[in-house]
Amino acid sequence: MKKVYIIGAMAAMFTACKPSVNVTTPATSGNANFTNYLAVGCSYTAGYADKSLTVSGQLNSYPQRLFEQFHTIADGQGAVDPFILPLLPSDNGYPEAKLIMGTVTHCDGRISLSPIANPMPLDTNGSWRFKSMINNDQINNIGVPKLRVADMTVQGYAAANVYAKRFFYDAAKTPLAELQSRVRNVHPTFYTVWMGVTDVLGFATSGGSGDGTGDAVPVALNIYDSKDITPTKVFEDLYDSIVTAVSSEGALGALIGLPDITKLPYFTTVPANGLYLSRQGQVDTLRMIYTDVREKTFDLGSNYYIIRDHNNNIRQAVPGELILLNIPQDSITCAGWGSYKPIPREYVLTTDELQHIRAAVDRFNFVINKHAQDRNVPFVDMKSFFVSLESGIHYNGIDYNTEFVSGGAFSLDAIHLNPRGNALLANHILQTVNTFYKATIPLTDVNKYPGVKFP
Amino acid sequence: MKKHLVTASLLLSAATTFGAGYQLNLQGLRQLAMGGTGTAWPWDASTIFYNPGGLARLKGIQAYGSMVFLMPSTAYGNRENSGTTSSNERTASQTFTPFSVYIGGRVSEYSRFGLGLGIYTPFGSGVKWDDNWIGKYMVQSIDLKTVFFQPTVSYRANEWLSAGAGFVFATGSVDFRRALPVHGNGGADVDDGTAHLHGGATGVGFNVGVQMKASEKVQFGITWRSQVNMDVEGGTANFTVPKSLRDSFPNTRFNSRLPLPGVYSVGVGWRPDERVTVQFDMNYTGWNSYDSLRFDFAQTTSSLQNVRAPRNYRNTLTPRVGVAYKLGAVSLMAGAAYDPTPVRNGYVSPDLPDADRVVLTCGATVRAARGLVIMAAFEGVNSVKRGASYDFGGFNGVYKTTAAAPAIGLYYNF
Repeated sequence: MKKVYIIGAMAAMFTACKPSVNVTTPATSGNANFTNYLAVGCSYTAGYADKSLTVSGQLNSYPQRLFEQFHTIADGQGAVDPFILPLLPSDNGYPEAKLIMGTVTHCDGRISLSPIANPMPLDTNGSWRFKSMINNDQINNIGVPKLRVADMTVQGYAAANVYAKRFFYDAAKTPLAELQSRVRNVHPTFYTVWMGVTDVLGFATSGGSGDGTGDAVPVALNIYDSKDITPTKVFEDLYDSIVTAVSSEGALGALIGLPDITKLPYFTTVPANGLYLSRQGQVDTLRMIYTDVREKTFDLGSNYYIIRDHNNNIRQAVPGELILLNIPQDSITCAGWGSYKPIPREYVLTTDELQHIRAAVDRFNFVINKHAQDRNVPFVDMKSFFVSLESGIHYNGIDYNTEFVSGGAFSLDAIHLNPRGNALLANHILQTVNTFYKATIPLTDVNKYPGVKFP
Repeated sequence: MKKHLVTASLLLSAATTFGAGYQLNLQGLRQLAMGGTGTAWPWDASTIFYNPGGLARLKGIQAYGSMVFLMPSTAYGNRENSGTTSSNERTASQTFTPFSVYIGGRVSEYSRFGLGLGIYTPFGSGVKWDDNWIGKYMVQSIDLKTVFFQPTVSYRANEWLSAGAGFVFATGSVDFRRALPVHGNGGADVDDGTAHLHGGATGVGFNVGVQMKASEKVQFGITWRSQVNMDVEGGTANFTVPKSLRDSFPNTRFNSRLPLPGVYSVGVGWRPDERVTVQFDMNYTGWNSYDSLRFDFAQTTSSLQNVRAPRNYRNTLTPRVGVAYKLGAVSLMAGAAYDPTPVRNGYVSPDLPDADRVVLTCGATVRAARGLVIMAAFEGVNSVKRGASYDFGGFNGVYKTTAAAPAIGLYYNF
C-alpha cells in the first residue's frame, strides 16, 4: 500500500507543474501613435451591412476591431477609451429594413432559403439624429454610407444623405468642411481613410448606367451622377483634400485601397450561363426567335442568357459577363427573362462595363498609393486581400471565401462584409500597419464574432 | 483491493492517451518502468505483447493484470492573437486508464509450447478542449479507444531459440466533436452548430516475435506487430444546426478507417551480473500508413461533404533504454526513451497536438507472497515545446504536452 502512496505523491508533484506556453508578445506601437484613432470612409467604414445600418453592424465594423486591437497596446501609445460611434438605438435597420435569412416561395412553387427584409418595425424612431450630443464632437468613426470622394465639395450634402444628416454639425456645409472641423475637434493621432469604393460601386450596381469611361461631366455644378464612375481628375483633387484634412493635426495613418469590386458576390452569384434548356423544342424556338442576333449558341444544357447590352443591343451574354444579384429571380424562372425576353441592362455588367470598372479601380488605387507614398504612410492593398479571399482564406478551421452566404465573410447584401469578414479585413489592415510602423499589434480572433444567421 | 482495480479496468473497457502519435507503450509495468524496453527479455506474461516468442520460456502459467492512470495535459498558445494577455489554453484534465491483462505460459512443466491470451490497449488518444476555444471549428474533443485481444502460441525450438505468434482481434471506438460555423437567429450571436461523430471500430492483425537466449547473460528479441486497420462502419453522425439547415446537415451514418501502424522492434538484454539487467530496444513504427483522416457519410449534401483531412504521418524510430536492479525480493527499475513525433510540420492538428517526447520512467516490483508479485511504475512524459501549424485548417500555434502516468499491477504464478 505504501508504494501506492509514494506513486500518488509523485503523480501529484508531476501534475502540479502543468504545461504552459507563454507566447505573449507585448503589443507595441512602433513608430506610430494610436492614442486617438479616427476612421474616415464610406459604408464599409460605417459598418453598413445586410443592406442597412444597424447598431450591431456598427459595433462589428472594421474600425471598431482596429480600435480594440490598438487599445491592447501597452507602451503608452495605445488607443484610449472610448471609441465613439454614432450608434443607432436598435438593430432593425435604418432607414430601410435590414436583410435576414428567411424562406421564399418562388413563382414555380419552389421554396428556398434566401435573404428577406426583416419584418420588424423600422428603426426610424430616434435614428435620424445621433442623440449623444455630448460626444458628438468626438466621434471616432465618421464613416458615412454612400459617401463618395466625388461628394466631398457638395454644399448641403447631408440634406440628401440620411446617414450624413444623422451626425453632421452643419447640414448646409460640404462633407470636406465637416471632415476638417471634426479633425480639429478630435485631434487624431492615427487615421484610416477608406474612400473611393462608392465612386465605382454606383456604376457597377446600376448595371453600368453611366458612360463609365471616367470622363463624366457634372450633372449640376460640382455634382456627379452617383451611377457613374467619378472622373479621375476629380478623384485626384478631392482625395488629396481628404488626406490633407486628416493629416492637418499631424496624424499618421493608413490609406486603404479599393478591391476589384467585380469579385463581390453581388456580381458573381447569379451565373450568366444559367439558361438551362432540357428539350430540343426550347432550343429550336430560341434559335428561331433570335435569328437576327449574331454569335448566338443554343444547345441542350447550360446556355448564356439573352441580355440587353451597354448600347441597348439585344445579344447573348459572353463568358465573363456578370448578372447582378438584385435581378428578380421569378422573372427568369417564370417570365422568360434571359430567354424569350432579354435581361434588362441594369442587371447586367457587360465586358466593356467590366473593363471600365476594373480600369477605374486601378486608377483610383494608383492615386491612393501615390498619396500613401508622398505622405509616408502605408497603402493597404485591398485588391490582393479580396483576391486571397476569393481563393479562400483558411482561418482556424474555417475556409472563408467570397461565396454568397456559404463563404462566411459577406453580409446578406453581398456587397458589404459581415462581422467575421470585417474582422478578417481588420487583421489585413493590422498586418500592413504592423509591418510599416514596426508595431506588434495582436490580431483579432475572427471566429469570435457572429457569422451569417439562419432561421 | 488490487484485484478490484484489475476488474474495474475491464469494466472501463478501454484506454486512451498519448504516446508519440496515438501509440501507447504501457502494456507491461516492468517494461514501462524500463523505458518501454522488453523485446529481448521475457520477464513475465506481458511478453505476450512485447515478444510472443518469450512466452514458451515462462515457468508455469501466470495471470497478470496492470493498469495505468495516465494524466496528459496539453497547453496551446496563439502567437497572432496573443498580445499582452496570453491566449494560453489548456486541455481539460482527464485520466485515462489503459490496462493490460495476460494469462498464459508453458502448457506443462516440460512442454516446448506456450499458450496465452493478452487483452491490452496499444493505441488511443483523448483530447478535450474548451467547447468555445479558438480551435473549436477543428476539434472540441476527440476520443480514440482500442482494445486488442491476442490469443498467442509460442514454441521453444531449443535452449536458445523460441518463437511465437498471436492473432489480434481489435475492437475500439472513435468519438469526435467539433463546432460548425452556422448560427441560429435566436440565442446568442455566436452559438455554433455542432457535429458529433461516434462509431465502433474493429480490425484484425497479428503479433509475431523471435526470442534468442544467446547465453545466461545476453538475450535478443525481434518482433513485428502488424498494422491494424480499424474500420468504422455505420457510425452515427449527428448535427445540431438551425432548423432551416437540417436538410443540409442530415443526421446520417458514416464509415471511416483509422490505421493503427505496424511496429518493428529489435531489442537486446544484458545481465552483467545476477542483480543487474540492462535493456535496449529500437521501435520502427510505420506511421506513413496514416495519410488522411477520412469520414465518408452515407448521405452527403452540398454542405455536408465527405471529410478528407490530410495527415501524412512519417515513420518513426524510437530508441529506448532501461535498467533493473534486483535486491532480494525487491527489484528497482528505471529507463528512458526518446519518442519522435510522426506528425510533420504543417500537419499538426489540435486533435493530436503531437511533438517529440522525452520519456523518463521508474518502478519497482515486490515479491509479496509465494508466486505473487506486485508492481508499480511511473512514467513522466515531456514533449518539446512545438510551434507548428495545420495548414489544411489555417491553424497554428505553440503546443506543449506533459503527461504523468502512475501505474500498478500484479501477477501470480500458478
